[in-house]
Amino acid sequence: MGDEYPSLLRSEEMSLVQLFVPTEVAHDTVAELGELGNVQFKDLNPSVNPFQRSFVGEIRRIDEMGRRVRFFSTQIEKEKDVVPIRPLYDSAPLITSGPRAAQTVDELDTTLAEHEQRLTKMNDSYQTLSERTKELIEARHVLRETAVFFDKAQGHHEDIRSSFDDTVTPLLQDDREGGYAPAGVQFDLEFVAGTIERSRMSTFERVLWRVLRGNLYMNHIDIAEPFVDPVTGVETRKNVFIIFAHGDALLAKIRKVAESMGATLYPIDPNADKRSESLREVSNRLEDLQTVLYNTGLNRRAELIKIGESLRSWQDVVKKEKMIYETLNLFNYDVRRKTLIAEGWVPTRDITNIQLALRSATEGSGTSVPPILHELRTSKTPPTFHRTNKFTEGFQTIMDSYGISAYQEINPGLFAVVTFPFLFAVMFGDIGHGVIIFVAALYMIMVERKWAKADLGEILGQFFFGRYIILLMGLFSMYTGLMYNDIFSKSLHLWQSGWTFPDANGTVVGVATDHRYPFGLDPAWHGAENGLVFTNSYKMKMSIVLGVIHMTFALCLQVPNHFKFKRYSDLYSNFIPQFIFLQSIFGYLVVCILYKWSIDWSKATTQPPSLLNMLISMFLSPGSVEPSLQLYRGQGTVQVILLGMAGVCVPWLLILKPYLAWKEMNKTQGQHYMGIGHGDDTGDDVPQLTPGISLEEEEEGNGLLQTEDDEHEHHDFSEVIIHQVIHTIEFCLGCISHTASYLRLWALSLAHAQLSEVLWTMTIEGFLGPTSVFGWIELLVMVGFWFAATVFILCIMEGLSAFLHALRLHWVEANSKHFEGGGHAFAPLSFASQEGKD
Amino acid sequence: MPSILPVLFAFAGTAGLMTAAALFVPKGPQQVTIRTALMLTLASCYLMWMVTYMAQLNPLIGMWFKDA
Repeated sequence: MGDEYPSLLRSEEMSLVQLFVPTEVAHDTVAELGELGNVQFKDLNPSVNPFQRSFVGEIRRIDEMGRRVRFFSTQIEKEKDVVPIRPLYDSAPLITSGPRAAQTVDELDTTLAEHEQRLTKMNDSYQTLSERTKELIEARHVLRETAVFFDKAQGHHEDIRSSFDDTVTPLLQDDREGGYAPAGVQFDLEFVAGTIERSRMSTFERVLWRVLRGNLYMNHIDIAEPFVDPVTGVETRKNVFIIFAHGDALLAKIRKVAESMGATLYPIDPNADKRSESLREVSNRLEDLQTVLYNTGLNRRAELIKIGESLRSWQDVVKKEKMIYETLNLFNYDVRRKTLIAEGWVPTRDITNIQLALRSATEGSGTSVPPILHELRTSKTPPTFHRTNKFTEGFQTIMDSYGISAYQEINPGLFAVVTFPFLFAVMFGDIGHGVIIFVAALYMIMVERKWAKADLGEILGQFFFGRYIILLMGLFSMYTGLMYNDIFSKSLHLWQSGWTFPDANGTVVGVATDHRYPFGLDPAWHGAENGLVFTNSYKMKMSIVLGVIHMTFALCLQVPNHFKFKRYSDLYSNFIPQFIFLQSIFGYLVVCILYKWSIDWSKATTQPPSLLNMLISMFLSPGSVEPSLQLYRGQGTVQVILLGMAGVCVPWLLILKPYLAWKEMNKTQGQHYMGIGHGDDTGDDVPQLTPGISLEEEEEGNGLLQTEDDEHEHHDFSEVIIHQVIHTIEFCLGCISHTASYLRLWALSLAHAQLSEVLWTMTIEGFLGPTSVFGWIELLVMVGFWFAATVFILCIMEGLSAFLHALRLHWVEANSKHFEGGGHAFAPLSFASQEGKD
Repeated sequence: MPSILPVLFAFAGTAGLMTAAALFVPKGPQQVTIRTALMLTLASCYLMWMVTYMAQLNPLIGMWFKDA
């Protein structure tokens, strides 16, 4: 019964299929089906813990490989300017299906482990070497600066010697003094040298001063360059210090204080020659280390480049394998026959494709037993699948955001392809702005191949996803701009105007001629004092007309749904009363609007009546219409009839459906009692009709279903009544509020036109007709500013606003008239959908 | 005296084009989409033109400008 071609009108027909897959060919089968992207697998082991499933070991191994690949990815991220990553479409593919699959995966595992080991070792040695380098640099600084101190201190030694002699001689009886050469060649006060962070310097000094009671001589100097921590990249500034003091105890105290404050101490020899020798040694070691560091860096980069060549294909393999094994975990393992049993939803149209895929998987893996596909009959609701292409995808997505359509219900996304851009354009109407967004969308479409692979970021990615929507929005905006006769707030005089202006002094009054501007708003209105009065009236009435027609169209979409689901009673219990209610009030209003426009009031006997007052008095004083405010003869009677029809519809809508449901319930209840005793109907569990058939096999289709319906009838009746009451109130009140809601079409187009005009008058208008060079420059600057404001405020901001309101009109005003929703989307196993993500 | 004939002619024209779209869109996987889109475009463009034309057919208010 399949149609020749898929259509977007309804969800595709879906079948539940069962696959019997021999174990040897299972991996390859799932790989083929994943490439095809047409099967949504069901979980046949829902009660099994994820850690107890059959393929847990393989998944663990893949996870380990995935972790390694992620590690490589982060390492390359840090050096992404230098290390190129070969994109996936350029990389050599890794074949993971077929007879050599297991070997390939094993090799990959080993390769990844090796790379990881080498990379971590290089990273560790790099870090160690960097730390050593830092220490050596500090030591070099210390050596250099202390040379200066020693020279300075040489001059002070006499003062210090004398102070020792004066006050502390009794305490210096120990042999420390004896160790020094007297009045010597060499000043030999002991000292401590090292480095400390600059911020801690003053605290250090103060603490030392207090602890040692001033018995110290300290000097310090800044190190000019900061030290960069290789791991974190944080900069620290350090100072070199040297402290001269006398006595072991003091020196020990100094050392302890230094360590507690986080200073690093370096052993310095008091001998100048030895110092310069150490300096040379340190410099040499530093040079060596820096060479080694450089080489390590080069090696690491080379390793990363090698990894970068294959990184994307590894990521791809890891992702696919993980998905395959997770899917295999959903299958049921039949130990006896060594097969896996899978169940899933597929579009009926694609069953032949799937069988081909199964066959090719068997051939690829070299076994002779192909997987068997067999359809099941079921009463479960299939997932909803709308087959879209790159053009319709955007429209379907924005309508799906409201709710997924029920299976086989009329798809509002199909009609949104035109109604959405059209309603947008009614709110956005400007030829110039339409051209801007049309060109932008056209550009995105021309580079779509390149951009589809690139990572565009969230915002640009959203715009790119909706490029076809924007294209149509621009196209329709050009048309509505022509209707409103608005191009960047100016009017076009394409045809002859319908108004002439006879010469007059004072107020200029237009006189209507016999000719009417054939296409769009007459340009004479542009700049008129009461131009807005006319335009507002025109746009408001147009909004009502378009709104009522849109709602009627949406209401009529109910009819195919009722036919498809064989709910013929809904036609006359739901659809007809709703239709009559909507048309008798608001359809009548639309007819009156059009009628009032078609009468030449200059030749009529009465004054043109206000339609809004007419509608209100239709309700408040039905049947009586004041003759001076009459729109047509016999209006009173007609209005009473219409009001009566609407009045009848409310109880009709409210009562008929529950009544029919009640009648149905009584009928089956009678039948129910005539059957073999099923026990009383106090809502017991569904009785097991035939022992031995478990609930899992209800998919096979047997008579169990019939009884279920009967049991539910009791509970459903009160639900039917409540549902119908809500539905009636919602519909009737909704008619009024939704009709008024369409006035947003007027409001937004007014705002847009006014914004556009204000922008023009405040920027370019004042600078037109430049006389001097300066005037030309000013004009150019203003044009630039005007264009930027046009794009950002009028196109982007107003565009987003109109987009939102048009979408709301579709979701609330239109969908509430026919949409049922409640479906679940078809989510097939598909490798392609994962490729875009990282 | 501006007449309502253009409205009726355009209606007939649009109806004709819509019928043509309904009958002559070639069969293929996109037939339903193209057919629906064409018919809806023709209908909505006609509606908007019709409303704009009829609103100006018999002007209810005069047009006046302030002294230029």
